[in-house]
Amino acid sequence: MSARKEPLWRRYLRFFGPDVDADVEDELRFHLDMREQHYLARGMSPAEAHAAARKKFGDFARHRRALRRQDGRRLRRIIWSDRLGEWIQDIRYSARLLWHHRGFSFAVIATLALGIGATTAIFSAVDAAMLRPLPFVVPDRLVELRNVQLPFAPRGAAEEPDPRPNLRTVGELTDIYSDVAAYAVGGLNLSGIGAPLRIKVGVVTEGFFRTLGARVEKGRTFSPEEGRPNHTAVTILSHGLWQRQFGGQAAVGQSVRLNGKAYQVIGIMPPGFRFPQGADLWIPLTIPMTFASFEPFRGWIPTVAIARLAPEVSRAVAADRLRVLWRALPADQLQEYTGVIAEPVRPLQGTLVGDRRTPMLILLGATGLLLLIACVNATNLLLAHAAMRERELAVRAVLGASRGRLIRQLLVQSLVLSLAGAAGGLLLAYTTLGLVSGLLPQEMTELTAPALNGRLLAFAIGLAVVTGLGFGVLPALNAATTDAQSTIKSGGGHGSTAARRGRTRRLLVTAELALALMLLAGSGLMLRSFSAVLATDPGFVPERVATLQMTLDRTSYPRSGVRLAMLQRLLDRLLGVPGIEAAGVINDLPMSGVGGISIQVEPEEGSLKEPWRAARYLKADAGYFRTMGIQLLQGRLMTASDDSLAPAVMVVSARMAREVWPGQNPLGKRIKLLDPDTVGWRSVIGVVSDVREKPDEDARWQMYYPITEDSPSLVAVVVRGTLPEREMLSTLRNAVQAVDPSQPIYAVRTLAELRHESLTTRRSNTALITAFGALALLLAVVGVYGVVAYGVTLRTREMGIRAALGAGRADLVRLVLGEGMWVAVIGVGIGLIGTFTLSRLLQSLLYGVGASDPVAIAGAALVLLVPAIGATLIPARRAASLDPAAVMRSE
Amino acid sequence: MPPSIDVLRGTLDLLILKALSWGPAHGYSVAEWIERVTDDTLVIEEGSLYPALHRLDERGLIEAEWGLSGNNRRAKYYALTAAGRQALKSESATWTRYAQAVFAALSAPASLKPASV
Repeated sequence: MSARKEPLWRRYLRFFGPDVDADVEDELRFHLDMREQHYLARGMSPAEAHAAARKKFGDFARHRRALRRQDGRRLRRIIWSDRLGEWIQDIRYSARLLWHHRGFSFAVIATLALGIGATTAIFSAVDAAMLRPLPFVVPDRLVELRNVQLPFAPRGAAEEPDPRPNLRTVGELTDIYSDVAAYAVGGLNLSGIGAPLRIKVGVVTEGFFRTLGARVEKGRTFSPEEGRPNHTAVTILSHGLWQRQFGGQAAVGQSVRLNGKAYQVIGIMPPGFRFPQGADLWIPLTIPMTFASFEPFRGWIPTVAIARLAPEVSRAVAADRLRVLWRALPADQLQEYTGVIAEPVRPLQGTLVGDRRTPMLILLGATGLLLLIACVNATNLLLAHAAMRERELAVRAVLGASRGRLIRQLLVQSLVLSLAGAAGGLLLAYTTLGLVSGLLPQEMTELTAPALNGRLLAFAIGLAVVTGLGFGVLPALNAATTDAQSTIKSGGGHGSTAARRGRTRRLLVTAELALALMLLAGSGLMLRSFSAVLATDPGFVPERVATLQMTLDRTSYPRSGVRLAMLQRLLDRLLGVPGIEAAGVINDLPMSGVGGISIQVEPEEGSLKEPWRAARYLKADAGYFRTMGIQLLQGRLMTASDDSLAPAVMVVSARMAREVWPGQNPLGKRIKLLDPDTVGWRSVIGVVSDVREKPDEDARWQMYYPITEDSPSLVAVVVRGTLPEREMLSTLRNAVQAVDPSQPIYAVRTLAELRHESLTTRRSNTALITAFGALALLLAVVGVYGVVAYGVTLRTREMGIRAALGAGRADLVRLVLGEGMWVAVIGVGIGLIGTFTLSRLLQSLLYGVGASDPVAIAGAALVLLVPAIGATLIPARRAASLDPAAVMRSE
Repeated sequence: MPPSIDVLRGTLDLLILKALSWGPAHGYSVAEWIERVTDDTLVIEEGSLYPALHRLDERGLIEAEWGLSGNNRRAKYYALTAAGRQALKSESATWTRYAQAVFAALSAPASLKPASV
């Protein structure tokens, strides 16, 4: 036995002798000695013989060195090939064994595939959004200049004085920022060839492409002149749009019509460049920015300023320099920008990921918990399996398998399992890639998509190795420390090892329950938030309302009066349809994801804590409020006579009225928009109920101007009626068709759909966490069942004796139930502690519930406890129905 | 000067195989045998014999085993394997053909001188 304790490789050393160096020495020495004796025999003196032998041999040290190197190499080669052989042998043995126990293997692999698959799937989103570099030249040098606006000259001449740093002043820091640019995204109608098309337009400054390091495929990018106000209209097409519209034919120099206006094509971008937000084409954003820049859109659209850091300039230095500009603001404005001053620049990637970062990381954490649970379950299965194999392992140990070899073989087995699990997991992740891409922000669609790449593969394999070793090490050590002799003698599986293993398994299941509770509590909190969001009053009645959007372009509808006449004809026609109760128009629907159009206001009297405040700027007719079910709380709605000649009036939302004029009657109060283009003071004629722009966001300030004053070109039409949904939509579509057959329409849908869509992100986050929670529940319940059932099997004999001694069925059930109960209760207890510690991390995703909401957490505990205890009932019943006589006989 | 290393090495391998064809032997007796049968014509540095022996061992043409020498010392004995015997046979045939060809060329009559162009 002691000889076997020797490490394996020593056997090869014995093949050569004690070791390579000594063997070479011995062999060569022997040669020299023989030669010396030969010379001595021929009558040389010992000194002569010694010298002659050496001479004949050559350089002894050199030959010895060469020989040692040669033999050392050979020895290492043999050891390695032998090790490899052993590994292959272990793998083949494991594979055969696992195939033999297919049911067990399938259970472990499926469990791990769930855990690894879920984790890998979420990681693919994290990879796409945060780890993979953006597809720009040296993307890590790109930053967002937070809150930096363009200089603003409403009519293209005099610039508005504004003490805040703007794109021009930042651009002058050429030693810090080698390029600066700004962009905005809007939608326009592309007409000309074929049916009018709604396309996504990047409105970008002249330096945009240079900053990103993007080159045109054909033509050129915008010239500095084209980046100034009042230049001829030019555009750059994306590769895809060029292919669709021009069939790949020469397009540079041709023109396309956007909202009826001709734009000359000056360049085409290469395939794949669709930044920002999957733009189809780009038009210039002028410096200074003017109203004309946004004339084709419905007003101002928010711009993002970006920059490329100059070589050798760190982000910290760049931030410091920008901070100096911000700090120069007048004291009364400084306060508003403390957040910006704290972090004036941030990596562009971070900006694009935006507020999706937290949910993604939370989901990744959730899958981590799930994977941990899967691992615990796999450990448990493996322990049970090891118990079955106890005799086999003992026999192998007695037959001479070393302990190390046994441990290794068991670890190889768990690695084979976990790698198979990873393969299943990757398959699972691959099939869910499309779903997972919903986790990415819209800013990043078209830019990067979750994909099965090398990193993902490495991630899954890494998880497999870590989990394989993680869940394999305990059973392997456990099995290998078993006393072989006693196992064989006792008949296996009933000795003290079995009891110890039972303890380990109970501990594992306790941990598993604790982890599952955390996930379930997270699911509970998310579900409660979701129902809280659903229960919020959006401020309008979404049922039975159909909508569509259209752009009345400036060629067919050059003036406001023409547009209004068209809208009036449309509304009249709609109201004439039986079953239609109300119809109206507005420039911007709530929950349509626009939300960004805000302007600054200044009340004549009333209180504003800050000198400037953003308010939602809307243009509507009275029919809009009636159709949407928005209540008039005070005063009156606009009428047809509130036109461009009448005094300027507006309807404000309740919150705005309350906050601007607290405790006062808002009617008749005046407010001024800080926009020199529009009429000066505007008075409040009515107050309406608040409307939420997003279901999980409080209502902002809203101001409704009479649309009859000046019709926007982009409008949304709403109708309410008693007709079936499908008919409502077609009625709406047909009415526009009848009024103007050539007018393109888009976004034809019900308001309920719009609301549903606005919840997509929250819904998918909730659904994912809930799904992970459900999986955790399933695994935990299976775990509890497994450990209790195993316990019953181990104690069959004890139960039999108890039954024989007169224990009733109820006693036996109680005995088994007790065991399961303890595990469940302790697991849930620990889980509760963990939940209260971790649930704060969820805070940012919650709505209307606290992070330690007792209903959600208690509910989760109950959802976990009931099936867990239920799972112990099955083995308990089995124990109770034991026939004592049969049990005793079988022993 | 001795012939080039390659020729020497190939030749040395062949000589070792031949030496061992009479039965297992240690390195010294192989060296001695070569010296004796070639009448000291081939001057081989004895130290270079061992790398050749170990290489042949690695190639599986001979195999080594520690044993006791005549004077009761631990010595490493080499024996020809079946593969080695096979190699000896084909190598000596090749070598003989080669030597005969060179010899034939060197002893060719003047009438066979290269044609002048």
